Amino acid sequence: MERLLALWVEPLSEERPDGSVLRDYLRVLDALEVLCPFVEPVRLGLCTLPLRGPSRFFGGDEAVFAAVRQIVRDVLGLDVALGVAEGLFCAELAARQGVVLHAGQTTAFRRVQPLAALGHKELATTGRSLGIYSVGDFADLDASRVAERFNAAVRVLHRVARGELAELPGQRDTRLSARLRDARGEDIKGDEQVSFFGQRSAGDDRARAAAHRVRHRLGPDGVLVARLRGGRAPEDRASLTPWGSPSCDERDDAPWPGRLAGPSPITSLHQPVAVELCDDADEPVRMSARGSLSAAPTSLVFAHGSRRSIVWFAGPWPLVERWWASGRRRAHVQVLLDSGEAMLLSAEVGRWWLVGIYD
Amino acid sequence: MATLRPVTLAKSRIVPLSEPWASLTPGGGLRRGSTVVVHAQPGLGGLSVGLSLLSDASAKGHWAAVVGVDDPGVVAMSDLGVDLRRVLFVPRPRGAWAEAAGDLLDGVDLLIVRPPSRASHGAARKLMDRVRERGIVLIVLTEPRAPWPLPADLSFHLVSSRWIMSSRLDARYVTLRVSGRGEAQHRGEHVVMVPDVRGRAVAR
Repeated sequence: MERLLALWVEPLSEERPDGSVLRDYLRVLDALEVLCPFVEPVRLGLCTLPLRGPSRFFGGDEAVFAAVRQIVRDVLGLDVALGVAEGLFCAELAARQGVVLHAGQTTAFRRVQPLAALGHKELATTGRSLGIYSVGDFADLDASRVAERFNAAVRVLHRVARGELAELPGQRDTRLSARLRDARGEDIKGDEQVSFFGQRSAGDDRARAAAHRVRHRLGPDGVLVARLRGGRAPEDRASLTPWGSPSCDERDDAPWPGRLAGPSPITSLHQPVAVELCDDADEPVRMSARGSLSAAPTSLVFAHGSRRSIVWFAGPWPLVERWWASGRRRAHVQVLLDSGEAMLLSAEVGRWWLVGIYD
Repeated sequence: MATLRPVTLAKSRIVPLSEPWASLTPGGGLRRGSTVVVHAQPGLGGLSVGLSLLSDASAKGHWAAVVGVDDPGVVAMSDLGVDLRRVLFVPRPRGAWAEAAGDLLDGVDLLIVRPPSRASHGAARKLMDRVRERGIVLIVLTEPRAPWPLPADLSFHLVSSRWIMSSRLDARYVTLRVSGRGEAQHRGEHVVMVPDVRGRAVAR
């Protein structure tokens, strides 16, 4: 399961009569979207984002935490509690406790939580009388015994305790996206797409109404719009942002030194996939510090074990960037598979990532 | 406030296509109310062909939506000539691709849908009927494991593709079998370069 970074800002968890908390919460979400387009509002005071993409982009978890803390401080002047775990239930607990869990540690973390963490008073009381104190104790009960003794709501909590469900019922505010949309009303007006003549056309209005309907159905990041900005690699130049969020930057077509030449991949993975490149002796192909390959790659191996033959490759084209105060070294390689599929790979932090497909 | 129509008359029966597509289609454009299928093995160019069909219409003021294409390469789309200011993306409709497509019918002139799995006969029928009723164009991207269950008005079947390489990937020739109903019947095989070295679609 994906590691989630949860942000908990306690002063934003209770609405005030003037609605200022919702507006502050919205400002934080919008500011965070610069960092990652997939910030998910959970309920007031709490939001999450998938950690892997930003972490790869910023050069590690710590760099993302520093950036997030800075953003919240800049926007609100408040400190944010951060936590990382798999699944929303544990991610929130981790944030409240300031714990960062690595892949595979979430189950142990979940098991040591007090039974009250499941948020059900009666269960916590009954559990104590039965000698069940932790989420792990509860998880170890046989599902059939839980079903005999407790109602449907507790049976759901049992599945959360066992890690079969990633979040508690009610943990997410289901009306939040509608409230955010209303609060965003003004921003949307300011951000409307303009027609050729600088005026809104009837078609623009219809498209806007349709986007509203889809967003209502699928949530705030259900409909995205594309923006282009400066950058060297296709995955940096493109940004897809939720429809209706304030535009952060305008289209920038200025040539950038070192921009990858030739066609760009029509599929640009927002979450690059870790892959292995191997040579014909089945040894992993590495990038040297000087930007050359240790051997010619002949196969592409995916994490789930499937293997594809490479019939041609080009590159590497190194990119050295200094961004967010830390040097990033990356290099791109194009490969053509025997099936005729062409892909763009990137070498970074000592491994290979599939970043694009020329479909 | 005066409202403006897109540059091409909205009442026109055809949604415009640029070359190389215009000369492959009856009437030089996509007939409103029709369904177009772009069928290809994954990774061989079907996505570039499908998204390229948006370029002329979006540049002339028509809105488009793309449902179910998870990670659209918007730089490549821009290079194909698509005006990204008029494209809505619904990359991950989860189980609700047909519903999301339905929500968009009233808002766009071109609707691209890539169903995540084989569409049911009923869902396909319903969507095609509504597309005909609304007078927009539905473009369905399919692959062998998820074919479209109903005959389309026009279909581009990607037969083969071949890359041209130098010190990098330069361009790709794709061979398309174009067929359909009525005037679109038997339009034969055509070779198109997509992308060319500048990322565009051009006739060979």
